Amino acid sequence: MGEIGTTWTARGAWSGIVAPGVFSASGAGVNVQLREGLGIASLIASREQEPMLGRALESRLGLSLPTGPSAVSSASHTLVWAGAGQWLLVAASRAGVAEDCAGLAGLAAVALQSDGRAVLTLSGTMARKTLAKGCMVDLHPRAFPVGMTALTSIAYIGVQLWRSEDGPDGAVYQIMVPRSMAGSFWSWLCASGMEFGLVVATGQD
Amino acid sequence: MSASTQPFRRDDGGLIDRNRPLSFRFDDRAYQGFDGDTLASALLANGIRLVGRSFKYHRPRGILSAGAEEPNALVELRSGARREPNTRATVTELFEGLEALSQNRWPSLAFDLLSVNSLLGPALQAGFYYKTFMWPASFWEKLYEPLIRRAAGLGRAAGLEDPDHYEKAFAFCDVLVIGGGPAGIAAALAAGRSGARVILCDEDGRFGGRLLAERREIDGQPAAVWLSAALAELASLPDVTIMPRSTVFGVYDHGVYGVVERVSDHLAVPPPHQPRQRSWRITARRAVLAAGAIERPIVFAGNDTPGVMLAGAVRSYLNRFGVLPGREAVVFTAGDDGWTTARDLAAAGVRVAAVVDPRSGIDPALTGLAGRIGARIITGAVAAAAGGRALRAVTVREASGREESIACDLLAVSNGWNPTLHLTSHQNTRPVWDEAIHAFVPGTMPVGLSVAGSAAGRFSLAEALADGARLGREAAADIGFDSAAEPATPITDPEGVALSPVWRVKGGKGKAFVDFQNDVTDADIELAAREGFKPVEHLKRYTTLGMATDQGKTSNIAGLAIMAEQTGQTIPQTGTTIFRPPYTPVAIGALAGHHRGRDFRPTRMSPTHSWSQRQGAVFIEAGAWMRAQYYPRPGETDWLTSVNREVLAVRNGVGLCDVSTLGKIDIQGADAADFLERVYCNGFKALQVGKARYGLMLREDGFVMDDGTTSRLGETHFLMTTTTANAGKVMQHLEFCHQVLWPRLDVRMVSVSEHWAQAAIAGPKARAVLQGVVDAEHDISNEAFPYLAARAVTVGGGIPARLFRISFSGELAYELAVPAGYGEAMMDAVMAAGSAHGITPYGTEALGVMRIEKGHVAGNELSGQTTARDLGLGKMMSSKKDYLGRLMARREALVEAERPCLIGFRPVDPAQRLRAGAHFIGIGKPATMQHDEGYMTSVAYSPVLGHWIGLGLLKNGPQRIGERIRAVDPVREGDVEIEICSPVFVDPEGTRLHG
Repeated sequence: MGEIGTTWTARGAWSGIVAPGVFSASGAGVNVQLREGLGIASLIASREQEPMLGRALESRLGLSLPTGPSAVSSASHTLVWAGAGQWLLVAASRAGVAEDCAGLAGLAAVALQSDGRAVLTLSGTMARKTLAKGCMVDLHPRAFPVGMTALTSIAYIGVQLWRSEDGPDGAVYQIMVPRSMAGSFWSWLCASGMEFGLVVATGQD
Repeated sequence: MSASTQPFRRDDGGLIDRNRPLSFRFDDRAYQGFDGDTLASALLANGIRLVGRSFKYHRPRGILSAGAEEPNALVELRSGARREPNTRATVTELFEGLEALSQNRWPSLAFDLLSVNSLLGPALQAGFYYKTFMWPASFWEKLYEPLIRRAAGLGRAAGLEDPDHYEKAFAFCDVLVIGGGPAGIAAALAAGRSGARVILCDEDGRFGGRLLAERREIDGQPAAVWLSAALAELASLPDVTIMPRSTVFGVYDHGVYGVVERVSDHLAVPPPHQPRQRSWRITARRAVLAAGAIERPIVFAGNDTPGVMLAGAVRSYLNRFGVLPGREAVVFTAGDDGWTTARDLAAAGVRVAAVVDPRSGIDPALTGLAGRIGARIITGAVAAAAGGRALRAVTVREASGREESIACDLLAVSNGWNPTLHLTSHQNTRPVWDEAIHAFVPGTMPVGLSVAGSAAGRFSLAEALADGARLGREAAADIGFDSAAEPATPITDPEGVALSPVWRVKGGKGKAFVDFQNDVTDADIELAAREGFKPVEHLKRYTTLGMATDQGKTSNIAGLAIMAEQTGQTIPQTGTTIFRPPYTPVAIGALAGHHRGRDFRPTRMSPTHSWSQRQGAVFIEAGAWMRAQYYPRPGETDWLTSVNREVLAVRNGVGLCDVSTLGKIDIQGADAADFLERVYCNGFKALQVGKARYGLMLREDGFVMDDGTTSRLGETHFLMTTTTANAGKVMQHLEFCHQVLWPRLDVRMVSVSEHWAQAAIAGPKARAVLQGVVDAEHDISNEAFPYLAARAVTVGGGIPARLFRISFSGELAYELAVPAGYGEAMMDAVMAAGSAHGITPYGTEALGVMRIEKGHVAGNELSGQTTARDLGLGKMMSSKKDYLGRLMARREALVEAERPCLIGFRPVDPAQRLRAGAHFIGIGKPATMQHDEGYMTSVAYSPVLGHWIGLGLLKNGPQRIGERIRAVDPVREGDVEIEICSPVFVDPEGTRLHG
């Protein structure tokens, strides 16, 4: 967030809600990475412009626009399907996302959402068991492979959930919740994951 | 050890660990049991037979069964906040320190004063509450009902907040197997071997079902050998999940099953971070029901005496728990199965005085057994059991009619089994009668569910194993999981299932119970028949048969049989009731899971929340949001003082208020302006880029839906704001309008509410403050940035922001929006820039006061029952275009002259307080509906005027300015004379707005 020469301090979506640390009596079955500083924009294709939008994004980001519930990623960007004709562009750099979207004006309605979402990565051997306590989507690897996404609700909070590349402990889930409900989401996550042990870290990836 | 402290414990055998004694208390006396016991088995091991008193007659009751069907042995488990009434001792696993109290007795279990109810029999018989207490009517509430309530009922709820945590969870599988007995295990194995995802649930803490209670052989070896091998194989299959202590309690549409997992019920206190219980919603593509069967009692006089027990339960206590349920037994059986109990009793060293079986032509292998164990064989029936608090003797009646009394302390009753088919009828299908086995079996099955073994009425172990294996395999194959060669079905030792059921034995002395938990006797059913309550649904409701927490698991069939006998019909002609979820009681806490207290629903925090906290704000819930209500300062003792200070600070200087919670919808597209033109009743096409406009949205039915300002950020780009309360509803409405009403419009919309933090800066000095916040290159002078300007600016040295010159307070005011992460920085920056001007944070209360002073409508007026005209906004309804709600708003009733319209009010005596909700009544008229002329929607104390003011909807309101009327508030005993006045109390010319 440092690109603007401002004296104002930005506050992360998880700030004041959860800080890095270990939340358990024993064990470390769930790893939580709080993802701050992402650039997020919603893209809604203009009428009959979806193919053009796809080509523009392909040439800009090297990513092809998913046409169903999936997420595609490069080292710096992820495009997540978010409903018919709608996507979320998630960029590793918050500052760059406006530029990523510049020039898409005629092809899509672009709206910045970087500050409107709280994002975290859930991994670890017990990540799926923890999610089962709130997520109504079948996350078995057969039903929810790498790259799949779902717009669903967890603990009555609307979430965008997708599975990124597996990590050392198996499946890795990205979860995006509305910023205003980050506190309630953490309350649920903490209560649900404590029996397995939650290790919370922060950082950009 | 066992002999000394547990007189009825066997020296060896059973699935209890004699090296792990557990101490427990029942009715404040200390006892000992073993790991592996249930409370019931531990009580029996200690010679405790009397466990509770019955619901209506306070009859002494003992332990009837060894399972979830138990109607008698209901106790209050645990103490303090964890006290749980009506807990079945038969399924309560013993833990160290367990405390239980018997229920429904006073002063003590052994000596209960209300057992005199038994003598009042006729007064308490079926339907008594419809008859006895009918007259005089006024006595019902005051006398009869409290009396009955005190006398009846079972345990007491804790009445304290539950200290434990509960969870709700979701699971998915290919094949769900319900029941972990031989059939279920065979099904899970067959399905699991195919590679299907399998979940195997059993309500018990230990898998094996009846195998745990029986001395059986499989493939020439004790069944335990087969069982442990099968369980080990299941545990080795990666996609098989085994769920002990998990009751499948309901079957819902589309393969959804409700399950409650008693995670920590077998422990004194849940371990750290473990829930007490967890409710699961399991979605299964296929399911196999292998829930076994429930044994049936026989109706005869005194059949509820402690010591009368189901024969299968006797075997459970003997074989699984190593407990002698008695020392001198009589077996009363209507089928071969009871003879097995005689055999097992003798093997355990219990003297079997007699086996009473009404059938002739009994298998000689069984009669030979009687000889070997020294038991008399009596062809006849048990007509009565006697003993009161503990069984002493039974009266046996031979076929000839000769009666004899046989001393015993245990009567094992065997009358065949009912398939546990409850789940099969949860989709509203009825079981069907199978004459061959004298029991109901599943009828039409829920989609995707099949039923195996005893639950299907195939009671032998061989059938259970074969059924399970076949149906498990078929369920998996049905959804594409094929198995290799079918393994051979295991071979079992021989067993007899012949049965000729006895529904009741008449003529004994004393009450004969059909439904133990609800104290329904055979006489009650006869009475119901005499009084015409013959159809089964009437029978049930009139007598309460089967309506206790056990849902009649042990009583329904006998009840039907007795009614059938009364009406000369067969059981299937009499019918059956269907079962509803839950199969066994489920704690509400388990269904709520994490979501109680603060977590009942998500709480939404504004991006400036912790800033407001630092300012000492008092927060108020506004829908899901927490909003700063006011910011008390030291020395301010009541909210009104703080609010008055905040209002005056804005009116005289400048104030700062968080408005981030308003809904913000980004609307783009070539037809965006056209779209807005259709959803708002006022015009938007002519709105210039860089300008904001107040908009009013109607519902299709002509009533006002919501209001807010919408700004034109670009030629084809708008930003709509909504009220906090309606943010979601308006977004939904717009999507509906676009997708359904006008799909051809080229428009796209997305909520950006969460991305922006927004604050109102209001007061004569607002501009001066903002000039210190907005980056210098943006000219926000009155000329460059006039009223209703709306433009992108930057703040803090380049942070993209949006500035709107709009006002809710009537003052010179702006709303500044920055990305949410900068919300707190914005508040700090505005405060810093405003410190020289005495800037004051204000909350929703001051906001509300100022909008009432200006006559602006808000939630109280946008009630869904008001039209634009009602609110004095009729002129906003454009006559030059079509829009949603236009035609319906013209309905006769909505344009009626007398319809209450918005107007202002002030008390004639300025010292009087006004109350919202008060109704308008003419002076001198009675306060009745007939004279009602409308009501007060909003009130506030105006610190500017120094008295209370109000807005309200009054008949012909705008024409009555200057007139006096009363505001009558019967709820708070208010009756205030008020004067009707303009709803704009402050600055009616609006000069301050443009300052």
